Parts: sequence; structure tokens; C-alpha cells
Amino acid sequence: MSITINIWINEERYEKLQKAGLANMAEEALAGLKVIKVPCTEQQKDKVLKVFPTAKYDSATTKSIELLPREVKDKIFDLVVEKQSIDVMDDFLKNY
Amino acid sequence: MTYIGHGGKEIVERVLEPEKAAEAIKGLTPVPIRGQIAREIIDIAYGFFTPLEGFMTRADVEGVCNEMKLANGVLWPIPIVFDISTEEINEKGIKEGDKLLLTYQDKPMAILEVEEIFTYDKQEMAQKVYGTTEDKHPGVARTYNYKDKFIGGKITLVNPPKINPPFDEFFFTPKQLRQKFAEKGWQRVVAHQTRNVPHTGHEWLMKGAWLSTHGELPVEKTLTGVLVNAIIGEKRKGDYIDEAIVLCHDVLRKAGYFREDVHLTSITLWDMRYAGPKEAVFHAILRSNLGLTHHMFGRDHAGVGTYYDPYDAHRIFDQIPEGALNIKPIRVLAWWYCPICGEVTYSGLCGHKEHSQNFSGTLIRSIIQDGVKPPRLIFRPEVFDLIMECAEKYGFGSAFVTDKYLKERNPVFSLPDMKY
Repeated sequence: MSITINIWINEERYEKLQKAGLANMAEEALAGLKVIKVPCTEQQKDKVLKVFPTAKYDSATTKSIELLPREVKDKIFDLVVEKQSIDVMDDFLKNY
Repeated sequence: MTYIGHGGKEIVERVLEPEKAAEAIKGLTPVPIRGQIAREIIDIAYGFFTPLEGFMTRADVEGVCNEMKLANGVLWPIPIVFDISTEEINEKGIKEGDKLLLTYQDKPMAILEVEEIFTYDKQEMAQKVYGTTEDKHPGVARTYNYKDKFIGGKITLVNPPKINPPFDEFFFTPKQLRQKFAEKGWQRVVAHQTRNVPHTGHEWLMKGAWLSTHGELPVEKTLTGVLVNAIIGEKRKGDYIDEAIVLCHDVLRKAGYFREDVHLTSITLWDMRYAGPKEAVFHAILRSNLGLTHHMFGRDHAGVGTYYDPYDAHRIFDQIPEGALNIKPIRVLAWWYCPICGEVTYSGLCGHKEHSQNFSGTLIRSIIQDGVKPPRLIFRPEVFDLIMECAEKYGFGSAFVTDKYLKERNPVFSLPDMKY
């Protein structure tokens, strides 16, 4: 199972996706809740955890990096929309 | 009424009457203590840690580390120690045979009878208790942070704490809790250990454990209960605030997800060690002292990172000799959401593994942090609404621990002023 960052889709984010014609990028993940799963390499995961100490890698259940601050998730989400791709972690981490 | 706790020992409250307490502490050397030690003093004094009457001596620590037994042969997995620096010992002239006045929040709290002053290799302690010496493990880090000497000896509470709202209605001593079970007519009670706000996976874990516990008992009358025992201790930034954890568990009953006569929420003061299987045994001992008959253990109980296999905490109970523990483990696998079944369902029964949607407390926390309301199948709306209310009322606008919360929160308990 690959490592991901889950960007959960609320109404505001869904609207942005729709405007960009990317609504189908969100997949159903949890009882109808939609998510964009941004992939991370092992090295990217380590850097994210180092830069954002409140974040946690859920190795036991979901293999995902959780508890990133909301504004950080927003930045990653905006990059996804801008690049029209989920492979954005290299770009995102350039600034850190 | 006499109640028997772990190791066949009577549950005794080591608490002095106010007049005797004022007299007993006169002239004693004051030693300020930190929150962890204060919480453990309360646990010892009210019998949560029966048969312990104080902090461990070297023989106890050695027995616990090497054989998971106290010096008297009673099963015990985690050292309970009072640490102190050599400087403080020298500065205050502390020696064996002394009595110390332990103070907290600048008020007298307890008397410690100095039976033994000793050292113990912290790395050895970490390896034997946690199975690792890596300081990334929070229990190991806690061990390394201990000061260089330990004092073993009995404690006596001289200034009982006042438990502050909203925790006051959830704090029961072992004796009070056993009386409460008797009033409810519960013959069996199963523990749900938590330090999380409940999602429906937790709810179904509890319901499954209740069914396992009730077993062959007749169904005409409620003879079995679920006790949610929330662990309240040191908080880290990003955790749910304590108030939300306790109140949200309680709302499951108030909102009818549990019948009024089968569910109760309570708290125990303890700083998690994340010792995985060893902590599972510790939790079992703690809850047996509370009068519980069964204890539910789910996936990765008290684990952290990848230090333990998710089911190590199940397996350790196979190694415990019969009669050493007076509580039965109820072992359960994970619950997941299955889109085919259209419900949260038990992984041990559901045949749609490839479609399963796993979730955890951490994942739900992340969803809420993203400003998203989880679907009601996963998270009860009453719980979500209450989290938001707790954020406003207790968390300075956040349901999660912040620097401001750590600094300015109303403490779980306070020590009253004491004349002496």
C-alpha cells in the first residue's frame, strides 16, 4: 500500500474542483465521503513529518499522513488544482 | 464493605482525615512534584493500583522489568516510580527513613515514606518494558526523562483533590465504582479503554464486546454493562481536548446509541506509556481493581508506530498464568466500513475485504481538521456537534489541544487550600 496524504473534500473544495473541471479527481473513500489521495514517497513522508511536527503517519490502519494543519492541506489542494495532477509533493516541498 | 482487588489484596484507601493530615505533615520537608506523579499518587491512594501502596522499590522494579512481577510475586508489567535528582536529595538532605511532604500546585498533597533511595539503568528499563531503547518511542522518552535517582516507599494522601467540572461527574474511586455497579445490578462489566472521541468503529467495538461479555446470562434483565474508562493524563498538541473525549462518550448514551442501563463513562488519571502488550496487561489490572469482569482489547491496543504487532496485546494474555489476573480479555479485530454491506461491520465476519474502507481515530481527527463533517454512519452527528461545542466552551475555539489550551485550561483537578 502506498503512502498518501488525504485531502478530504468539503463543499468549498468540491466547488473549486468543479470550476477546474476536476470533479472526477475525487474518489469515494469513506461511506460516501470524497477524498483526493496525494501520493508520497518514503522520503517525502519523512520530510513532511519533520517539517510539520503535529502530523502523524498512521502506519497501523490507513498508511496515510494525517493531522496536517488545515492551511497546509489547502496549499497542497491548491497545487493539485493548479497542476491538474495529484503528483504535487515535490513542488510542495520545494518551499520547505 | 470489603472489596478485593488485584493480587487478592483488599482495596484500601490511603487517605488521612483532615485533622490527622494537618498534624501529620507538620515539619516535613516539602518536595514539589509534577503532574504525572500527582496523578499516580491519586491512583495509589484510592486503590486504582492495588496492591501498590506507594512507589516501587528496587526489588519491585527489578521484578517488573525482568519477570513482569512485583517482588511479592504478583503480576505487574510497568514500573511505577518516583524519580528525583541527586541535587535535590542533597539539597534537602533526604535519606532513607524520612517522611517527605509532596506538594503540587503549591499545596500539600501527600506524604512519601522514604523506604529506599536507588538508581536503575534507564536503558535497561526501557528495553525490558518497551522492547526498544529508541527515544522516538514516547514511553522510552519518558523513561529517559526520569531524574537520576528513584525513591521507593508508601504514600498517603493528605489533601484529597477536587475534581473540576466537567470531569467531576465521571470520577469514581474503585470503591465508588463497585458500589455503582452493584446499584445497577451489573454482574458483568466490560471495559472500553479510550483516549479518543468515539467514532462508530469504537461504538461497534463496545457493542460487540458487550455481547461477548453477556454470553450465556439471561436476557430478561440487564446484568451486563459497558464501562468507558477514559485515560486522562498528559496532553500533546493536536490531541482531542479531554473535555471532548469524556463528554462525547457520555453523549452516546444520552443520544440513545446505548441504552441508559448498559453504559457508563468514567475517567482514570494516567499518563499513557504506549507500552503495547505490557500496557494492555496494566490496563487489565487497573480495570480489575475498578471491579470490572471483562476487558476489551482491539487492534493495536496502547501501541505506537510500528513497535508492536497489531495483535501483540492479544497474545500476551496467553502467557499469563491462570489466576494471576482476575479479569477476562475480550479480543476483537477491527471494524471497518463496507460499501457492499452498506454499514460499519466486523472484519472477522465481513467477506468484502477488497472493498473495505478502514478508518481510525486519527483519520477522523484529520477529516474534522479539514473542516469536513464525517457521514453519520462513521461519526454520530450528536458527537460531532458536541465536539464543536466543547471547542467553544473548553478549547479556546479548537477541539484539539493548542498551546493556549495547555497553558490556560481549567485543570482536571485542583488541590484545596490546607491549613497546617
